[in-house]
Amino acid sequence: MNRTIAGDWHDGVIPENVVMHPGCYVETSYSFHLCRSRRAQGVVLGEGCSAYLGCMFDIGERGSFKAGRCTLLNGLWLICDSNVSIGDYGLVSWNVVIMDNYRAPRDAAARRAMLHRFAASREPASLAPVDAKPVSIGNNVWIGFDCCILPGTVIEDGAVIGARSVVSGHVPAYAVYAGNPARFVRRLVNEELRAD
Amino acid sequence: MSEAATNQPVWDGGSLPAGVIVGQGVVIRGTAALQRFRSQHADGLTVGESSTLDGVQFSVGPQGRIRIGRFCCLTNAILMCDEQINIGDYVLIGWNVVIADTDFHPLAPAQRVADAVACSPIGNDRSRPNVECRPVSIGSDVFIGPNATILKGVRIGDGAWIEPGSVVTRDVAVGAHVGGNPAKVIALQDGESVR
Repeated sequence: MNRTIAGDWHDGVIPENVVMHPGCYVETSYSFHLCRSRRAQGVVLGEGCSAYLGCMFDIGERGSFKAGRCTLLNGLWLICDSNVSIGDYGLVSWNVVIMDNYRAPRDAAARRAMLHRFAASREPASLAPVDAKPVSIGNNVWIGFDCCILPGTVIEDGAVIGARSVVSGHVPAYAVYAGNPARFVRRLVNEELRAD
Repeated sequence: MSEAATNQPVWDGGSLPAGVIVGQGVVIRGTAALQRFRSQHADGLTVGESSTLDGVQFSVGPQGRIRIGRFCCLTNAILMCDEQINIGDYVLIGWNVVIADTDFHPLAPAQRVADAVACSPIGNDRSRPNVECRPVSIGSDVFIGPNATILKGVRIGDGAWIEPGSVVTRDVAVGAHVGGNPAKVIALQDGESVR
């Protein structure tokens, strides 16, 4: 498979372990320049999935990210060292951060040691993964711009996350959550659930 | 990416403008980094030894002055400074963080009209009304998560942890863990729960 993109502003290639199903669209290989996954499927983009200019897949060696059918990733900033998945028909707006870990230890002395290692190598891998907690996002989920989805978060099918929300924990199916910290706003009613 | 250390230039955008002082082993990446650096101070931007500024954008006015300590790592942050922003050592700042020491425009409606006119293409170099600035100070060993915003006058104590997406409008105590909009204390230094 051709691993370069026609007209790409960035002179790079899409890594071999990025699985792209038919009809999926990636705007620039730059989105993968921090993708260091050694998993057989470091990234899976489903049929008709799209990843636009604003996407950045910062994936560590043990990380894996999956996005389902027709899921639109406008500007996803992903920090992934375990598993992060988003289902089918997802809508992810611009500047949305989804992270399964903080890439920094809570202990200040440990952070200093990490920053010494980083200054010596400038390798992104030296910003150590710590306690990664997988993030799971269901089908048909809509995430507004500038949101942060924190480690360990589970968002069930059909939920809507308002712009600039910071989500941590569990969002039930067909719920609307918003705010920082995000709180339950309302449940989508039956007529709104009909996909026809 | 990895061979940046020794023979590479400090900044991949060219030679550093006057008023930028960097310590040994500093790396500044991104051609837009200093496009809006207009400080007239001889030390308009000081960056300590071994710090990394990757994709950071500085918008610094003529009177602005930014100091960043040693072994800091800032990624794609935006620093807007008309007076003073101080950042200590070993500070980690994530994607899309905004730090500003000013609100850019006056609060009073009549003054805002005058400011809008002065800023407009038909302003004919009219002088702008005074806009309040208050220095921002960030201690050492501070972590600031992605998408956070630090507003004017805020002082963040050493070792504080600012959650992603926080909007910090008030001072943060040494070692405190804060999050939310507006940012509130989640835990204090010893891990003691607040509520």
